[in-house]
Amino acid sequence: MTRSGPIPPDGPRPGRRFAGRTGFAALAVLYGALVGVCLATLVGAGDLSLGRNPIENLARTVGEFLRPSFLDVWLGPERLEYRSDDGSVLRVENRREVEAGFLAATARATWVTFQIATLGSLLAALMGLPLALLVARNLRAPRLLAWMAKGILDVSRSVHTLVFGLILVGIVGLGPTAGVLAIALHSMGTCGKLFAESIESMDMAAIDAVRATGASEAQVFFHGVWPSVLPQIVSHHLYVWEFNIRDSTILGLIGAGGLGLLISEAVSLFQWDRLSTLLIVVVALVMAFDALSRRIREALL
Amino acid sequence: MSTAIRMEGMRVALAGRVVLDVPRLVIETGERVAIVGPNGAGKSMLLKVIGAGVPARHGQVHVLGYSLGPDPSEGEGTHRALAPDARRALRRDTGLLMQGLHLVQRLSARENVLIGALARLHGVHALRSWARWYPTDLVAEADAMLTALGLADRVGTRADRLSGGERQKVALARMLLQRPRLILADEPTSALDPTATREVCAALVGAAADRDRTLVTVVHDLDLLPALSTRVIGIRAGCIAWDLPTGRVTPQRLQALYGQPPVQADGPEVDPPAAPNAGWQA
Repeated sequence: MTRSGPIPPDGPRPGRRFAGRTGFAALAVLYGALVGVCLATLVGAGDLSLGRNPIENLARTVGEFLRPSFLDVWLGPERLEYRSDDGSVLRVENRREVEAGFLAATARATWVTFQIATLGSLLAALMGLPLALLVARNLRAPRLLAWMAKGILDVSRSVHTLVFGLILVGIVGLGPTAGVLAIALHSMGTCGKLFAESIESMDMAAIDAVRATGASEAQVFFHGVWPSVLPQIVSHHLYVWEFNIRDSTILGLIGAGGLGLLISEAVSLFQWDRLSTLLIVVVALVMAFDALSRRIREALL
Repeated sequence: MSTAIRMEGMRVALAGRVVLDVPRLVIETGERVAIVGPNGAGKSMLLKVIGAGVPARHGQVHVLGYSLGPDPSEGEGTHRALAPDARRALRRDTGLLMQGLHLVQRLSARENVLIGALARLHGVHALRSWARWYPTDLVAEADAMLTALGLADRVGTRADRLSGGERQKVALARMLLQRPRLILADEPTSALDPTATREVCAALVGAAADRDRTLVTVVHDLDLLPALSTRVIGIRAGCIAWDLPTGRVTPQRLQALYGQPPVQADGPEVDPPAAPNAGWQA
């Protein structure tokens, strides 16, 4: 990486046309027109409807969600008899035992989801960091490499985790591995972009001061660049991790393991009480990790 | 005596306007030179050209034996970058103390000072330095430097928690640890109280005491001229107005360089103040 001479000016930027109050008003009008067109075409095609009896459906769904299945572990009937129409007993089950088993399965799935998110995010950060170093304009990587790295990041960011997951399930088979790789490939783009932005916002004068002592490029990186960006990189990594815990709950839908599998099962069998349990677990997991990562990020600054 | 800096026909133009025009300037090794002049005269620009921070595209510039001028085969207005090895060697031998200080905010004062010694490390020590693992004698040298500047109790403090004056001293210590042959300092005492100013001046002069060390300082506090320099260059509007031994710099010359002192409330006529910087700093 050669670093001599000043950064060439960007030249007149097209975004300048929207500067000032009139420009902002024009943007607002443009946005309003876009929203209007979206609404008008949807209504015109008759696709904007809430169904036949939304109020009743809403009340029923809420009612079922309000009694999550895990309550059955303590409150459920110990002897539930399934009878046929003529009154003969088909099957007897202990609801408490059944739901306790489901709860245990949920716990295992939660752990798998956490594993997928954690390993996937780590892999994403490890792959995203070198690409970010190439993309960050202030580090002046060779232009061809920078373009290629930017292309990789853009592609990986624009393909959804689920799409990566579908492809990877076909390659590495069902299970958490596909989930980890799917998360890693998609988050690599997010990580790379966030890392590159924090590198670009560095105080370059301090970096130049390190370079001015005659330090080698590696020394400049480890004494100037790395300590300056490390807190932001850790903070971005935590953010992506947090995001992936949310994201990986859905990956089970495509057979990549974790809570998503149980969610799709509960949805297909219309077991809204179990779905309610699962959603409570998801929300608790995400909120706990949010709180934790916020603490860590605050401590880092 | 060999020549530390030699310029001939050097011009710097920004946006078509000539901001610095030095037909000839020679600074010998071992000299202590102060550059004075009003704001915007081109003092810092001259220092940056010497420090290779601003490319010299016109004329000839030789610093410590390296040629920084335009590419002779391409002609005026071009710039020939030094080979990477030569550029590093020149950077290692040139100690910069620029305005803005530019410490690495999240490293401690000691680690910032040790950055100055990076170019002195070789072999396995250079590799270890990637993990900020330094030879103990260097760490001791850095601590001694900070102690000499009155920062003994701040060695472990992060740079962004230091006061402005403390940062200035850390930047100075970093530069001194580099053991440069040429020291370029831009207003090294601008954020300092009188005691700290004395300490910093003593450290600068001490570092330049060897016969093979050259010190070039941009000075705003004209009281410091006798302490920091043996020769003073007055710059006005991008040109060298005069170039004299410090002993022959008179208040009248300084007054002419900075223009008339500001008119005071009690009358239009003002005698040259006893403290030379009282009126000219504006």
